[in-house]
Amino acid sequence: MRRWAILSISLLFAVDARAQQKSPPEPPGDQKPTPSPVAQAPSVIVAPPARPNGPIQKSLVRITSTEVEPDYRAPWNSGGVQRGIGAGFVIEGNRIMTNAHVVSNSRYLTVERDGDPNKYPATVLFVAHDCDLALLKVASADFFKNMVPLTFGGIPELESTVSAYGYPLGGERMSVTTGIVSRIDFTLYTHSSVDSHLAIQISAQINPGNSGGPVMQDGKVMGVAFQGYSGDVAQGVAYMIPTPVIRRFLQDISDGHYDRYVDLGITYAKLQNPAQRHFLGLKDDDRGALVGTVIAAGPAANSLQAGDVLLAIDDHPIASDATVELDGSRVDMPEVVERKFKGDKVKLDVWRDKKPLTVNIELGSVWPYLYLAHGYDVKPRYVVYGGLVFQPLSLDLIDAYAPTDVRIRHYFDYFVIEQIYLDHPEVVILTNILPDPTNTYLAAYRASIVDEVNGKKIRKLDDLAAAFAEKADRFVVRMIGDGPPLVLDPKEVESARERIKKRYNVLVDQNLEEQPSKPTPADQTKN
Amino acid sequence: MKAFFNPGRARLCRAAGVERARIGSTESRPTKRSVGLAIVALLLPLTAFAATKGPETVVKPKELSLVRVNVTGQPYDFVRPWQKKAPFSKRALGAVLPGGRVLVTADLVANQNYVELERAESGEKTAANVVVVDYESNLALLEPTDKKFLDGLTPLQLALDTVVGDRLAALQLESTGALVLTEGLVTTIQMTRYPADLGQFLTYRVSMSLQYRDNSYTVPLVKNNKLAALLLRFDQRTQVVDAIPAPIIAHFLKDAEKQPYRGFPAAGFGFFPTRDPQLRKFAEETGKPAGVYVTSVDPSSPAAKAGLQVGDIVVSVGNNEIDQNGNYVDPLYGKIEFTNLITAKAFAGDTLQLHIQRAGKPMQMDLALTHRNADDYVIPPYSLDRAPLYYVLGGLIFEELSRQYLREWGANWMKDAPQRLVYKDRFQSELYPEGNRRVVVLTQVLPANTTIGYDEVAYLTVRKVNGKEVKSLADLAGAVKQPVDGFITIETEEDPKQIALDAKQVDAEAEALMQNYGLPALQRLE
Repeated sequence: MRRWAILSISLLFAVDARAQQKSPPEPPGDQKPTPSPVAQAPSVIVAPPARPNGPIQKSLVRITSTEVEPDYRAPWNSGGVQRGIGAGFVIEGNRIMTNAHVVSNSRYLTVERDGDPNKYPATVLFVAHDCDLALLKVASADFFKNMVPLTFGGIPELESTVSAYGYPLGGERMSVTTGIVSRIDFTLYTHSSVDSHLAIQISAQINPGNSGGPVMQDGKVMGVAFQGYSGDVAQGVAYMIPTPVIRRFLQDISDGHYDRYVDLGITYAKLQNPAQRHFLGLKDDDRGALVGTVIAAGPAANSLQAGDVLLAIDDHPIASDATVELDGSRVDMPEVVERKFKGDKVKLDVWRDKKPLTVNIELGSVWPYLYLAHGYDVKPRYVVYGGLVFQPLSLDLIDAYAPTDVRIRHYFDYFVIEQIYLDHPEVVILTNILPDPTNTYLAAYRASIVDEVNGKKIRKLDDLAAAFAEKADRFVVRMIGDGPPLVLDPKEVESARERIKKRYNVLVDQNLEEQPSKPTPADQTKN
Repeated sequence: MKAFFNPGRARLCRAAGVERARIGSTESRPTKRSVGLAIVALLLPLTAFAATKGPETVVKPKELSLVRVNVTGQPYDFVRPWQKKAPFSKRALGAVLPGGRVLVTADLVANQNYVELERAESGEKTAANVVVVDYESNLALLEPTDKKFLDGLTPLQLALDTVVGDRLAALQLESTGALVLTEGLVTTIQMTRYPADLGQFLTYRVSMSLQYRDNSYTVPLVKNNKLAALLLRFDQRTQVVDAIPAPIIAHFLKDAEKQPYRGFPAAGFGFFPTRDPQLRKFAEETGKPAGVYVTSVDPSSPAAKAGLQVGDIVVSVGNNEIDQNGNYVDPLYGKIEFTNLITAKAFAGDTLQLHIQRAGKPMQMDLALTHRNADDYVIPPYSLDRAPLYYVLGGLIFEELSRQYLREWGANWMKDAPQRLVYKDRFQSELYPEGNRRVVVLTQVLPANTTIGYDEVAYLTVRKVNGKEVKSLADLAGAVKQPVDGFITIETEEDPKQIALDAKQVDAEAEALMQNYGLPALQRLE
C-alpha cells in the first residue's frame, strides 16, 4: 500500500557545520516594543497587531543537535560530525515535540527557551522515523518552569490562516510566518523516503530551521512544520504533519514503545475500466480496488491474493478510484489502516472469483520496506575480508555510491515488489576493494552481488561473516549472474589482514550490529 | 566486462561506446558551412605544407579518389511505431574502391530513403544503391546507378599494414571541392566495441585535430595514397579519432563478394582473464599460466555446439597461444586480444581449432563459426531499415522489446529508459535462456473509451493474452482473436497484473481510434 514518488522535497532542518556566530545576549522577555506604523495623527490609536495564538515564546524550544552521520563508503569510520538547529514545542507531561529528522543520529542535544541564556541537555524519549516525529525530555526541572504546554487541534479548513513558528536559517530569535492551508493530501515523508501519510500543504514561508516548530491556528497546534520544496522546484509549497498523524504517534507510544505504522503489504490498482469490471463480475456501482501484488512478508500474505477485488475496508465502501469516505471527506483507502496500530485487525470485504468473502487481517509492519528506507541511529553493517568490503544493499548505500550497475539498481527497485527479499533478505554486495597484493586481480568483481560461498547460499551479511569464519582450504564466492567465481585463500587473507587494516585505517574488520554502541551519558537515558 | 560501482569509473568505462560524438551533425547546416569556408582559406596552405613534408602520407590532390555522398535518412519512430520521424539529410565522403563501388559507414546510410553520389570537382550527381550494409562493423558499399559515373577517379587500394606509430591523413573536402588533409599519429591498435555494441572489433586510435566539415560524416583515412581506415568516432575534447581499420574493411569486402552476405562471425562465449592465481588454481590449470576462463556460453552458439563449457580455460585459438589477459601475439600488432582472430581473421563458415583445459586436462575442439543475426537475440540489439512491429488493441500499444526502442531515450538510454526494460535487455540471456522468442511490451496507452482507467499504464511485460502464452507479437495478434466470454484479457508481469477489454467495444472503436490519433493501421506484424 505504498505509493512511490520521486520528489525533491528537502527537510527543513538547518544544518550548520561552521562554528556558530554568537550574537550579544538579548534582553530577556518579550519586552521589545512591537514596531507600529508611524503615527499619522496623534488622535489615531494604533491597535497592536493581533496575536491570535498567544505568547508562543513560552512554548517554543530551540533545539541544537550535534549529529554523527555514518559514512557508508568507509563504514568502519565513525562519520562526520555536524550541528543543526531545529524547533520544538512543549506539550503536556513536560515533553518536547519535534521532528525525527531534527534529532536523528544525534550524539548530543541541547534545548533553549526564549529569554533564558542557558542551554539545557536533552534526550530523545521516542523517535518515529516513519512519520518524522520525536519526543524529547529535559532532565533539569527548571526548564519547564513557566513554560506553557501547547494543545492540538483538528484538521484546519482549506484557505484558513495558519502561523508557523521556528528558527529559520538557525537564527536565535523566534520567527513567525503566516499563510493559508493550501491542500490536504497523502504525501511522501522524505525523512524515511518510503512512507506516505497525510500531510497539509501550507503557503506560510518555512525554511530550514522551522523543522519541528508548531503551526498554529486559534491557539491550537494544527501541525508540525517538516518539509518543503527547494526554491528551484516550486515556491511557497511547505508541508506540516497534521494532527491525526501526531495523535497516532502519541497513542502508539502511550505503552512506552513505538511500534511503527502498520500496513497491509499489498499493491492495488484502481478499477475504473467498465470492461474490466464486467469481466470481474462486479456491479456497476463504482466500487472496488484490484489487488496486484501481495507481499509475502506482509500481514495480508495468507488472506489476499493477486486479482482479489477489495470492496470494503472496515465497512467503509471502497470506491473504484481506491478511496473511502472517512469523517466526511474522501481519502485514499490506506488511511483506514494508517489510523490503526500493531496487532489491530482490519476487516476486508473481498470479491474473489466472482464470489464475496470477508477476511480479517491482523496488521503489522512489512519489514522489507525498511531496507528501502533511510536508516537512522544505526551503524552501517559491513564485512571486510581480504580487503574486500561487503555491505548489504540499502537506500543509504545507494546514496553513498550512486551505483550505475543495472543489476544492483534492479535489486533495489524490485526488492519488495518482486519479493527478492525471500531469497536475499539482505542483498550482499562487494562494494569496494582496498587494494593489496593479495587482491590485486579482483577489481572486476566490484559491484557484484554475492550468491554463495563454498556452495552455501548467502542470504544475509551474517551468513557471509559466518562462511568466512569457517575452516576451509579456500573460499569460492559465486556472484549472481555470469562471471567467474571469486576464489580466496584464507591463509593469504589472514597474512594480509593486519597490513590491510593498518594501511586503510580499518579499525574493525566487521560490524554486524545495527545499533550504535554509543556511550550514554549518565543523564541521558533512553526509554 | 563489468560496470564499476564507483560512478566516476563507470562513466569512464562506458565512454568509449556512447559519449564520443561523431564529427559533423546529422543535418547539414548552411550557416556553419560559410563559417568553415573562412577558416579554410587560412588552413589550406598549412595542410598542403604538412602533406608535402610528411613522411608517408603524400596524397596527390588532383587524383581524387573520393565522391561526396548525400543521404536522406528517415528513421522509424519506435515510440510511435506507426510513423517515421522527420527526414533529414547527411553529407559525407565516400572512398572510391575498385569495381565501381563506394565505401561509407553503415551509420550514414541507416534508414536511408535516398542516396546520391556527387563528383566533388564538377558537382555532377547520380543516384546510388546500397549494395551491402553491415551495422556491426559499421560499413556499407554503394553503387552508382550510372555505371560510368565514377570514371576518371582513381580507386583506392587498401593499406593493410598500418601499425602503431604510422601517420594517417584524414581526407575532407571544401565546398569548392578542394582537398583538406589532416594528419594524425596512430597511437593504439586495440579491440573495442563499435556503435552496434556487438562483439569486439579491431580499431585504430589516432591522435588528430580534425576540423568540422559539412561532409565529414564518413571520413576516409589514408596512408601512402591507400585507404587505411574509416572514421568511427571522434572525441573533440581529447582530439582522438577511433577508426575502422583496413583489415576489417577487407573482411567486409571479401564477405560482400558472396551472396547472401554473411556478416562477421561470433564464437558465443564470455571470458575472463586468468591473472588471478587463485582462479587458476580453482580451474585446476596445469602448465605455464595462460589462457582465459570461460564465464558463459550462449546457448546454440558455435561455442556451445563445439562443447565448450563454463569453467574451461581456452589456451589457444587457431594455433595462436593466448596469454592470461586474453592476448595473442599478432605478427603485425604484437599483443592484441584474441577476439581479433575471430572477427577480423576468420569468416562465418570457417572452423577454428580451440585448445582448452578442462579440470587440468588438455582438450581440443573445432569451433564452426557462424554469424549471429540481430534477429537471433530475444531482444534484438539493433533494428534498422525496417519498420518496428506493433499492435494496437483499443488504445493499448504493444511492441516487441528491442534495443532500438530503448535507444529512443537518447545517448544516456541506459540511465534514462525504463530501468526494468534496460535490465531485461542487459540480462536477456540470463532471463530468457531458452531464446527463440520475443518480449512483448505494452508500451503506452492512447486514452479512449476502451482504455478508461488504464491511462497510467506503461512499459508492462505481457505474459498471456486470453490465457495463451505470448512470446511474440504474432502470438498476441493470434490470441487476441479468441476472446473469452467477450473479453480480451491481458496478463502482465508487473502490476496491475491483469487488464481486460471488451472485444466488441475494441472492434467498434477501432475506426475512431485510428482517425483520432492518426494511425494509418492498427498493426504491423511483419
